[in-house]
Amino acid sequence: MGNNVSLRFTGALITSVVLAFILLLLPLSESWMLWRPEWIVLTFIYWCIKLPQKVSMVMAWIAGLFIDVFYGSILGQHALGLVIVVFMSIRLLPRLSVSILWHQLILIFLVLGTYLLVNLWIMAGTGSNPATWHYWLPLFSSLLIWPIYSWVMSFFHVERSRFDMF
Amino acid sequence: MGELIENNLQRSLSFKFMLLIALSGVVMVIDYRETFLQPVRTTLTMVSYPFKYAINFPFSATGYLTDYFTDHKEMAAENRKLRTTLDIYAARNQKYHAIADENQRLREQLNAIPKAREKHLLAEILSVSANTFSRKVTINRGSNDHIYTGQVVISGKNIYGQIDSIAPDSAEIMQLTDKDHAIHVINTSVLTRKPELAIEEVKGRGALAVGTGKTNLLELRNVEANIDIKRGDIYVSSGLGKLYPAGYPVAIVSSIKYNSGDSFMKVMAHTLTDFTQAREVLAIWHNKRTEKGPEEDIKSQLKKNKDTEKSILKKKN
Repeated sequence: MGNNVSLRFTGALITSVVLAFILLLLPLSESWMLWRPEWIVLTFIYWCIKLPQKVSMVMAWIAGLFIDVFYGSILGQHALGLVIVVFMSIRLLPRLSVSILWHQLILIFLVLGTYLLVNLWIMAGTGSNPATWHYWLPLFSSLLIWPIYSWVMSFFHVERSRFDMF
Repeated sequence: MGELIENNLQRSLSFKFMLLIALSGVVMVIDYRETFLQPVRTTLTMVSYPFKYAINFPFSATGYLTDYFTDHKEMAAENRKLRTTLDIYAARNQKYHAIADENQRLREQLNAIPKAREKHLLAEILSVSANTFSRKVTINRGSNDHIYTGQVVISGKNIYGQIDSIAPDSAEIMQLTDKDHAIHVINTSVLTRKPELAIEEVKGRGALAVGTGKTNLLELRNVEANIDIKRGDIYVSSGLGKLYPAGYPVAIVSSIKYNSGDSFMKVMAHTLTDFTQAREVLAIWHNKRTEKGPEEDIKSQLKKNKDTEKSILKKKN
């Protein structure tokens, strides 16, 4: 799958992660903020689908540390979550045909669900349990936004057709 | 051959995964229990500060621009109103000076330690935490301006919150409504209803105002079922715990529920600070100890002073 895909320019992956951070930090009104998709997770899942050999787990870990700083959560919480996201996505890939949107959505549901669950456990364990079902809204908004977001992300790489030799 | 490489790749992936999981675990435990990872957080905050600032700049700029272009008439009206308020405050300030002088004189007579002069610093709110479930904001002042963790921040005459973490040029404030935040408060409206109550009595029946994680909403815990409380009662900080200064308005009671049989009532209150409107806050230095001495001695002396002050105030009222 990944062999006929390449980055559009050097650092395209990092640029896309920075874009996700901008989306994460955009100030929104409170009711909108509840629905904010997990942009960073979506970005990493996207690259795991398209270019698994380019995704670095260490990079995911560092990105997670930055989320911890922005969120004010304990250091390592989102870092752990993102490492699990990358690992799970790469491991689940061979079991799904990821070119089908339906399968992509299943992948996101499983991976993002695990990510949110791990975060919830850690938050509950450290005594800052959100204690509201609103916590799960990003899961659904992420699934809804995915078709559009993956279209936007496709600008960051070039995909050669299998039969296009030159 | 290719399979072998693939296998090795998978194995190194798993190895890296295990390593990073373990590392995250260690970091989390250390960050939760100890404080020596604070420099790491500070560094990351510093590195990401320009990024955060750049993202928030267009939004804060729009806010200021709309303020700039508000209707002239509206502006004039507001100006007039502010002038009136200023006059009122000036008059009040006059009274305050008299009281402060009197206080100073009484302290001298009692041979007490001088009251630490209150210093304050205006800070601008830079951004709101990206985390929907915590109520934290970043301000543009930090340890370079001698801001410290646990410092009290007020907005107008109401309490806003306390400093949670600091970096050289920025600091994070935990608002009163954060889920992890609690402040001890006492009901002052009861004093106007029943002036015969002693302040100690009211203090003993205080409540804990705990953040709900929702905007401008607090929950008052430990309000016993037999306590006199009404909608619209004002709760002020009690000064218990020595973090917050006493007497600052905190919340106004919005709903009271009681299930018969419970020993406590379920009381919700709105904060007097409107967290959606505040753009600037004041960091105050009020409990930094100016003199070093035997702790016990200072404590007992302070208590004595307070008692005297109270009795004088009572007589005055």
